[in-house]
Amino acid sequence: MDWPVLSIMLFTPLVGSVIVLALPKEKPALLKWVALAISFIPLILAALVWFSYDRGTGGMQFVERAAWISAINVHYYLGVDGISVPMVCLTALLTTLSLFYSFIIDQRPKEYFAFFLLLETAMLGVFMSLDFFLFYVFWELSLVPMYFLIGIWGGPRREYAAIKFFLYTLVGSVAMLLAVIAMYLETGSWDILEMARLQPFSTNLTLAAVAFWAVFLGFAIKVPVFPFHTWLPDAHVEAPTAGSVILAGILLKLGAYGMIRILLPIFPAMFRQFAPVVGILAAISIVYGALVAMSQWDLKKLIAYSSVNHMGYVMLGVTAAAAAAGSGPAAADSQAIALNGAVLQMWNHGIITGALFFLVGVIYERAHTRDLKAFGGLGAKVPTFAGILTVTTFASLGLPGLAGFVSEFLVFRGAFALIRPFAIVSSLGIVISAAYLLWKVIQHVLLGPLNERWARLTDMNRREVITLAPLIFFMVIFGLYPAPILDLINQAVVTIVGSL
Amino acid sequence: MLPTLSVLNLNGAVPQIAVAGAGMLIMLIDALFHRGSRRWAAYLALLGLAVALARVVESGASAETILDGALARDGLGMAFALVLIVAAALSVLVAMDYLRREEHERAEYYALILFATAGGLAMAMANDLVAVFIGLETLSISLYVLSAFFTGDAASREAALKYLLLGAFASAFFLYGIALLYGASGTTRLVEMGTAIRLAGTQADPLLWGGVALIIVGVGFKLALVPFHSWAPDVYQGAPTSVTAFMSVASKVAAFAALVRLLVVVLAPAAPLTSALLALLAVLTMTVGNILALAQDEVKRLLAYSSIAQAGYILVAAVAGEVGAAAVLFYLLGYAFTNLGAFAVVLAWSRRGEGRLPFSDLAGLGFRRPWTAAALSLFLLSLTGMPLTVGFVGKLYLFGAAVQAGWTWLAIVAVLNSVVSAFYYLRLVVIMYMREAEMPLALQRAGLALGVALAVCAAGVILLGLVPGVALDWARQAVAVVLS
Amino acid sequence: MSVPVYGYVALSGLLFLIGAIGVLVRRNVLVILMCVELMLNAANLALLAFGSAHQSLDGQVTVLMVMAVAAAEVAVGLALIVTLFRHQGATDVDEVSLLKG
Repeated sequence: MDWPVLSIMLFTPLVGSVIVLALPKEKPALLKWVALAISFIPLILAALVWFSYDRGTGGMQFVERAAWISAINVHYYLGVDGISVPMVCLTALLTTLSLFYSFIIDQRPKEYFAFFLLLETAMLGVFMSLDFFLFYVFWELSLVPMYFLIGIWGGPRREYAAIKFFLYTLVGSVAMLLAVIAMYLETGSWDILEMARLQPFSTNLTLAAVAFWAVFLGFAIKVPVFPFHTWLPDAHVEAPTAGSVILAGILLKLGAYGMIRILLPIFPAMFRQFAPVVGILAAISIVYGALVAMSQWDLKKLIAYSSVNHMGYVMLGVTAAAAAAGSGPAAADSQAIALNGAVLQMWNHGIITGALFFLVGVIYERAHTRDLKAFGGLGAKVPTFAGILTVTTFASLGLPGLAGFVSEFLVFRGAFALIRPFAIVSSLGIVISAAYLLWKVIQHVLLGPLNERWARLTDMNRREVITLAPLIFFMVIFGLYPAPILDLINQAVVTIVGSL
Repeated sequence: MLPTLSVLNLNGAVPQIAVAGAGMLIMLIDALFHRGSRRWAAYLALLGLAVALARVVESGASAETILDGALARDGLGMAFALVLIVAAALSVLVAMDYLRREEHERAEYYALILFATAGGLAMAMANDLVAVFIGLETLSISLYVLSAFFTGDAASREAALKYLLLGAFASAFFLYGIALLYGASGTTRLVEMGTAIRLAGTQADPLLWGGVALIIVGVGFKLALVPFHSWAPDVYQGAPTSVTAFMSVASKVAAFAALVRLLVVVLAPAAPLTSALLALLAVLTMTVGNILALAQDEVKRLLAYSSIAQAGYILVAAVAGEVGAAAVLFYLLGYAFTNLGAFAVVLAWSRRGEGRLPFSDLAGLGFRRPWTAAALSLFLLSLTGMPLTVGFVGKLYLFGAAVQAGWTWLAIVAVLNSVVSAFYYLRLVVIMYMREAEMPLALQRAGLALGVALAVCAAGVILLGLVPGVALDWARQAVAVVLS
Repeated sequence: MSVPVYGYVALSGLLFLIGAIGVLVRRNVLVILMCVELMLNAANLALLAFGSAHQSLDGQVTVLMVMAVAAAEVAVGLALIVTLFRHQGATDVDEVSLLKG
């Protein structure tokens, strides 16, 4: 394509955010529709990129590169490969759905929709940037709108949650920033691919280890990996529904994406050396996340902790690939399988958990509670809700035939071959998550006797069904036939594995 | 032989002459025909500053000296002079409506701002320790008077007295340091002093080390470095807000200009020891400034502590010596826009007759005053160091210089401090947007001049953050031309 | 009999120290101001001594300038003290403590 499709995709929401701000606030309906219409542009372009990405040649495509700050060799450098394309599509899709779902927002809708569009630009920017400076700019930029979304439109403890979210991420990112400055001074380049080629600090192992952990911290807090996850439940519980969807669906993926795009290719030797430590953290995230989720009675908090559990699988896949870095073609297949699983899990978690948070929003807006003990027997009362919740929950616990199964299977297939002890421990997580999803979500919400309080509960309306339909579609279609997305991912994953 | 006029090279001193001359003209006109509004004085001040700015930009840097070698017209001096003039012009704009509102509109205000600026310009370009001293005193004495400008206000008087006593105390240290360095080297000219020190070697000359230590103490007071900072919060809080805004920027720019030149030209041979000393001061300043800022509940005082901490960040790059000079310059340029902007918002929102702006007054202003609140949020994010603002590029450059010069641990301390600072900067944003006001503040309309100043500051913060290339190149080239 | 240079320097150091201690321990604003003057004059003495040791005029020129500057500083200082005295009737720093310190 000879026109800058990525730039247009990237900056349309930013321009849209300004347009929304310029609209009169007396016409909330107008500005909601305008915001939604604008969000369709990146969505359509993302679909276009998905279909026109040349799977035969692979590599970085739709590349745009121009000097930005030549004094310190910073470039405006965009490009996507098989890992970023699904993430870009996920971002565009979830943003559009979130905006549509958010039509119910009455409190300061103008600022809300403007922040949301700004957030989309920041998130897309992270997935498209191939220059570390640019990456960092978007990375930090994604904090600001989310901070306001939680802080202004959030629940009762929103101030605390917003600041905690901001500061946690900031701690990680400044640690990363220092390491990146050192890497720049060493290599003279901010180019992420170039850095991977040059392998900074390959002669100074102490410095390499420090830089590795600094960058790891930046991404691990975002993923989040145990023990850096404590901001997540607060942020999720307090955020407005669509904010939670984006938080779980995309912001967590920023961290995982960084692990795969930056940490693994730039520090393969360090990552291999520290794979046992990272593996332990991943395994703890999986098992601990599942156990804590099981003990929750707040539906939203339960799903928040299930994110810790599910993102743990991503980390497990990445660790498996890292553990065999440099061991040649013998392990390459298993590495590629694990990494494929990790990337696919990122996509699936975005779709599934996004849907779960929408569903929590649906029930909360009617019942004004998320207390699992208060529900029960809703299955017959609100059948559409029950049906969608059941499919989504099954997808989340990894039922074969639905999307979650494929990615978890791939991760464990790779991990069992490469880091067996961690894989065995982690497999406990699957059992526990099946237990809490069935017991807490299905049984406590849908089954049992109907609480009389909910006699007048209404089923999902058209807006809510439309929001969830695309997500259900992807859960089913990629569960039955994951080849289209795996072809895309595999291409990029093999390149990365080959370079380790 | 007496120096001739051509040796004096007065042509090169046009910036100082224009600024000081405009100040005297204001005093004269005010004394002869003073009636009615004093707005003309502000315009005259802006004109004087514009002439100086045009002269600085147009004449460019060269390695020549003026006033018989007392001042240097090199890149370093001219660049800091430029930042100082911009800051002074913004301060004039910020003050115009404020003084009228507080019923203290008098022409001397602008004259004093100009005198202070002229002093600062002398410091920025000084090639002679005596010139540094005279510049420092011109700046300081003008600021003492400005601090006491609201004579009816007890806090203002008290701030001025405190500032004067501690400022004079610091000046004495500085002067005694000059005397000792003169004793060690036999000259007060910086370049010759540098040569003498290099030739003599640095081992165990008590005069040299005593002189350096006393000068650092003197500069430390001016920059409010910990442990010489105790005056700053009180003075910043008590002085009229427009003066605080000017003082927090101008005296930092001037003092850092002199410090950088001293480090690069004179003390380069003694770098290991001075760097260690400055690194210690930087750590103390950042940490103490930030920790004390956490405990504040009033915006003006909070910004005072934040200014202390910011001086600490800048010192991190100054420690790096020549490598860090460009970073110091660039950061100060951004800091001028950011800090003046933040104080301008404080001044627009504070109640009449009261300099304070308690946190509770901010509640709900995010939506009642969307533009001003957005501007303040921008300045606070820039002070935190968020990308796309000048604060980010500036800090990147500061800490990058430290890493490059091998001061990685210092950069780590600075970065940790930035995180701590994020907490109190963000708290203001939280209160503005996330709390409802219990008793809404009666706000005055901001005047046009203040609006222009805010717009310029915001534009500076964003543009320098978005496309810093030009300014970075400028800073780098400027510090490459140093008279030595 | 001529006094060696270090004698003058030692004396000036002593004067400087006395001035500095005075600033720190005395509470009367006028006395503090005088102590600061003492410190400045100590520096002047040192400048003169070094000037004669180095056989250069720079020291003497500097002293002249310092005297001018010090006069300006004192003028402003006294003016401030007068205003303060008029409003508050106090010349003791402890009585001037509106600000937290």
